[in-house]
Amino acid sequence: MLLKVDSVSMSFGGLKAVNDVSLSVERGEIVGLIGPNGAGKTTLMNMIGGVYKPTSGRIFVEDVEITGLKPNKICRLGISRTFQIPRPFPDLTALANVCIGVLCGKTRPHMSYTEAMLDASHFLEFFGLFGKRNTLARDLTLYEMRALELARALATTPKLIMIDEVMAGLNPGEASKAIDLVQRMVEEYHVTILWIEHVMKVIMEATERVIVLQYGQKIASGPPREVINDPKIIDAYLGEKIA
Amino acid sequence: MIGVGFLILLPILFVNDPDYMSLITSANILAAIAIPLAWQMSGIGRMNFGPQFFVGIGGFTAALLSIHWGWGPWQTLGVVVLFSLCLGLLLSPLTTIAHGLYFSLITLILPLMFLEVTFVYNETFQGETGLYGIAPFLELDNILIEQTVLCYCSLGLMLLFLYIVDKTLRSRIGLFAAAINDEEDVADACGLNINFWKMLCFTITSVMIGIAGWFLAHHDGTFAGITYLPLPFMIKILLVVIIGGRGELYGAIVGAYFVTILERVLTVLGAVNYVIFPLILLILLFTLPEGLYGLYRKHKYREYYPTMRVRKR
Repeated sequence: MLLKVDSVSMSFGGLKAVNDVSLSVERGEIVGLIGPNGAGKTTLMNMIGGVYKPTSGRIFVEDVEITGLKPNKICRLGISRTFQIPRPFPDLTALANVCIGVLCGKTRPHMSYTEAMLDASHFLEFFGLFGKRNTLARDLTLYEMRALELARALATTPKLIMIDEVMAGLNPGEASKAIDLVQRMVEEYHVTILWIEHVMKVIMEATERVIVLQYGQKIASGPPREVINDPKIIDAYLGEKIA
Repeated sequence: MIGVGFLILLPILFVNDPDYMSLITSANILAAIAIPLAWQMSGIGRMNFGPQFFVGIGGFTAALLSIHWGWGPWQTLGVVVLFSLCLGLLLSPLTTIAHGLYFSLITLILPLMFLEVTFVYNETFQGETGLYGIAPFLELDNILIEQTVLCYCSLGLMLLFLYIVDKTLRSRIGLFAAAINDEEDVADACGLNINFWKMLCFTITSVMIGIAGWFLAHHDGTFAGITYLPLPFMIKILLVVIIGGRGELYGAIVGAYFVTILERVLTVLGAVNYVIFPLILLILLFTLPEGLYGLYRKHKYREYYPTMRVRKR
């Protein structure tokens, strides 16, 4: 088992954003994490990534406990992520952005700066951004920024990548390209994906298993086709009347 | 290289004029303070509003050791480096603990507190008059030759700092500094130990600024807190960094010469100088957002376009 989340909860004052959620992700899986707005998906991702320390519960990566570790340590243990709103290093070029992932993600004491640049170029090529390598990240389009975030995350040589709503704001053509990129990434680099997404079509097409959160609690888990026909899920998304 | 060649030739042009020679020396020292500060501001991702604190630490350490124990410049240098290093290390956690404006406020207050200390312990620091009788770098019979040599020493110090910081910023450390300045949370999520790099950057640059203070003390033979610790000197240093170009090392040299010359030119206006000087600098800040050096660099390819950030959190 690659990732194991064991009864984690997170409270912000009186608000319980995540309540006693347990889940596990096997190596090589593409797992969707879905739920209505405010369900606690990003909070859960932030806990796994080390941004928040869970109020209670424990998180393990390959049996190593990572609860409360700093984000940089968690990244070096093999968990990388992208952000809901793209957060590249805006004043740096696309190449330098990915180079940071190459140099920081995994301890490579003998890798020179030039070698890191070459490695970063390879990742940019993979995501179709090599032509934009000298463009400042702030000047990229939304799709390119999202691809850059994926490239940067992959450059850290992770075992698991957490993708937070990569489709938000993309047109259908770009969304289809983005799904293709993620699938190629899994095939060629054998990474595991934990994918938060609102676009159900993407979840249906790309994931093997989905976990559904509502009001901070896990309400369902299973293959996407089964889960979307579950009355509880239809109720959560569309309301009791339609369910 | 052309610029460095010009800086080396410049003192020769004014070899018979001690006034201009001291002007060039002042500009060199100002640049020697601004160069590490330019690195610090990107490396810790925060605005340090009290760079003159370490000028004071370096200057007073050198002055006190020289006056009380009769130490020469090379003997005091080791202690200045060690003391600045210890104090830099001690204060470096501020870069990780004090978020956003709190860091800027704390660094703003530090030199002012130090200034107060120089008045409270007047017998030690001579707060009102400053310490004098500090061992000079060299004592020659010919004042013109002495000034020329000292001018080249200041140039040497500035070029040494430029070389060190330039080499550092062209390495992976520069890339890490840029990442921290741009998005430190994201850099953390990418596996960069931001606390370590911020503390390291703050400590090293503090030592460099301390060395500039040491140079000032032995160069002038006197050192007064009232000259270097109050806000006007801080404003001058920050304007050198910002006018030269945000976070641009070579820009800091352009900025230092520009500010020093402008200050000297405006002294003829007397008291009005105090209003006109900041006014001209403010106008330049708004009209040249990338600084004077930015005019030259504007159309050239760069890997990094640094932006100074006063963080909100």
